[in-house]
Amino acid sequence: MSKAHMKLGAFLMAGGHHIAAWRHPDAVAAAGVDVDHFIALTRLAESAKFDMVFFEDAAAIRERNINTASQAARSTMFEPLSLLAALAVNTSHIGLVATASTTYNEPYGLARTLASIDQLSGGRAGWNLVTSASELEAENFVSSGLRPHAQRYERAVEFEQAARAVWDSVDTGAYVADGKSYTDRSKLHPVDHHGTHFTVSGLLDSPRSPQGRPLMVQAGASDAGKNLAARTADVVFVAAQTLQEAQTYYADLKSRMPAFGRDPDDLKILPGVSPIVGRTESAARAKYDALQELIPDEVGVALLASYLSIKDLSRYPLEGPLPEMPATDGIQSRQQLIIDLARRENLSIRQVARNFAGARGHWQLIGTPAQIVDELEERFHGKAADGFNVMGAYFPGALQDFIAMVVPELRRRGLFRDEYEGRTLRENLGITIPARAA
Amino acid sequence: MHIGISITPFGHHPAAWREKSEDAIHFNALAAQVKKAEEGGLDFAFFADRLGQRPLNDLSPQAVPFEPTTLVAALATVVRRIGLIATAATTQHEPYNLARRFASLDTISKGRAGWNVVVSPGATARDQEYLDVVSRLWDSWEDDAFVYDKASGRFFLPEKMHLLDHKGEYFTVRGPLNVNRSPQGKPVVSHVLTSDTAEIALRSAELVFIDPASVDEARTLVSDFTQRLERHDRKRSEVRILANVIPFIGATKSDAQQLHDRLDALSPDRERPGGLVAIGTTLDIADALQAWSGIVDGFTVLPPVAPEGVDAFVDHVVPELRKRGLFRNSYEGSTLREHLGMHRPRHPASKAAEQTL
Repeated sequence: MSKAHMKLGAFLMAGGHHIAAWRHPDAVAAAGVDVDHFIALTRLAESAKFDMVFFEDAAAIRERNINTASQAARSTMFEPLSLLAALAVNTSHIGLVATASTTYNEPYGLARTLASIDQLSGGRAGWNLVTSASELEAENFVSSGLRPHAQRYERAVEFEQAARAVWDSVDTGAYVADGKSYTDRSKLHPVDHHGTHFTVSGLLDSPRSPQGRPLMVQAGASDAGKNLAARTADVVFVAAQTLQEAQTYYADLKSRMPAFGRDPDDLKILPGVSPIVGRTESAARAKYDALQELIPDEVGVALLASYLSIKDLSRYPLEGPLPEMPATDGIQSRQQLIIDLARRENLSIRQVARNFAGARGHWQLIGTPAQIVDELEERFHGKAADGFNVMGAYFPGALQDFIAMVVPELRRRGLFRDEYEGRTLRENLGITIPARAA
Repeated sequence: MHIGISITPFGHHPAAWREKSEDAIHFNALAAQVKKAEEGGLDFAFFADRLGQRPLNDLSPQAVPFEPTTLVAALATVVRRIGLIATAATTQHEPYNLARRFASLDTISKGRAGWNVVVSPGATARDQEYLDVVSRLWDSWEDDAFVYDKASGRFFLPEKMHLLDHKGEYFTVRGPLNVNRSPQGKPVVSHVLTSDTAEIALRSAELVFIDPASVDEARTLVSDFTQRLERHDRKRSEVRILANVIPFIGATKSDAQQLHDRLDALSPDRERPGGLVAIGTTLDIADALQAWSGIVDGFTVLPPVAPEGVDAFVDHVVPELRKRGLFRNSYEGSTLREHLGMHRPRHPASKAAEQTL
């Protein structure tokens, strides 16, 4: 298919992605539990023809130290599937993607909930599959204790198969309701899944999705994560700092697809990018600096420590380098990325923490619309990205800036659509609508 | 009296779909029914969930083809006054996930959400522990925990966050819930009263649904439940008991009877919904509700056909009940608790503070 247009996601998060965003004078501080805020942001992204909005999730607060937690806006937020359902009936074209865990859900219930959102939105729902790496989440569930990485992925693989079988249990045209027959029984295929982790049987209770199945999004970057994505994902969200990292990842993931019988074009890789844009470079830099000033050291270091999966980072001197760290069962890939960056640029703990706090290890761009589009274009044409998941530093301001300044420049260069191509998320992403698996 | 309505695409009668088209199962058609109920000032729209008894091997015309909590989240943004009660089973969600879902629904709806609990068969000790965990998770944050102080950098007051640290027989939950205390304090908790659920409803239900086959049965159910409530140190006034009622409404009594008989003839062998049946004109229906209102606090209306049954109830029966002073003329509050005349539960920390004064 044509590679003319990049795909854009708007990664939404309460007050913004910057850890101190909520303190910004223009930020809505109570945004995490303000449905009207999210409806307005999603409509804003839809007005600019973004492919999707995207929500991350964890089934826990994010920080164990309560004093640190109380200085950040990340402790409470809507349960994202409830939020997606509300957004579905207040928008018409934009994709709606939320994160849900295969470790703390069951396949039938989650597949059903996503199918329901897919119906509410007319085929615009997507699921970002995660396996949940945090101890704080593990402590909220029956089987407390963080499961080893390999075990989580084994469960995720089976979960995805079972969920897919649930979505495929009702084929197009199953509901007849012509007065004589309510259903066409030849279109009903009850699930009969007996696996290692799950037993699932019965039918989905809604019609087949207008886009075949809800979109499958993943962000795993470990070897197991990449194989699962190569086999099952429609979109992959990834953190990549340098062009080379992004290219390596892109080539690696797409090269795994043919082995699973898939066309590499049927998977879109969207690295995260946090753009801070100004009419001039110094205006952009001033916006960034103003946000950085708002980060308390304690909060920045704690956020970094949580991603590095080390509990006592605050013991080390702020001006010194990152300590040596053992491999963890947490987010392995993200940890390496941070360490590489710190070593490469010889950064102190405070510097890494501040740098990381802006976009949590994602790619940060600060500059004019032309400078930012140059960078995006380089990666888009350089086999490093099929598009980007745009992480606004603070809301609504950073998204408004991106739409007012960057989107027009993308369009001027023919890199982004003027109008939606279709009504479903898969149509707009240019991904084949899957038929029921035989 | 309190009046809610139970929503189905075609109506509660098992034959209702035979006279309709497939359009009825779509969101807009369901939302139109709820809007009509809101126009009538009804307390709530109720969404059952037959997946309490999954697996399903067929698709029922009496079921709403959406997962109820997501449907309620969507409806909450398009209807602005009426309460919205979604059914969810304790066997199908982890308590942390369910507590989040309903706290979110209550916030999205600005205080209009209710959880109709489906317990496991036999209502086990696991269910009781589950309900306790959910209820306490909803108290993870005090009402004034979030101060959003941009200048000092304090988002919430640490002393107003409460860990659960629950280590029970069935669940281990550290907490806190990662959603603010919701507008109603806690979503309203309801149970459908059966021999299985009675014990658990006595402890936790704020709203109890009964589906009596006769007026006598309704009377017995209510008096038994009331006596047992007192043994649990709960007052009758803390609970609203609503009876299911199935009104066949016609311009004349014989029109109504014909509607009833026609539908019955279309599906002689399918199970009927449980509840008191009323057949007649607007005045007959209002008479019946008035007579039964001495027994219960109100009714959940199960329209046998939709949307006509919803329209007829709202356009004709509701004004007649108002004329008789039996139903309020418009919404007097904004939350489901206010519609039901129930107090907002205070946070345990604020109760404790009060006691030490």
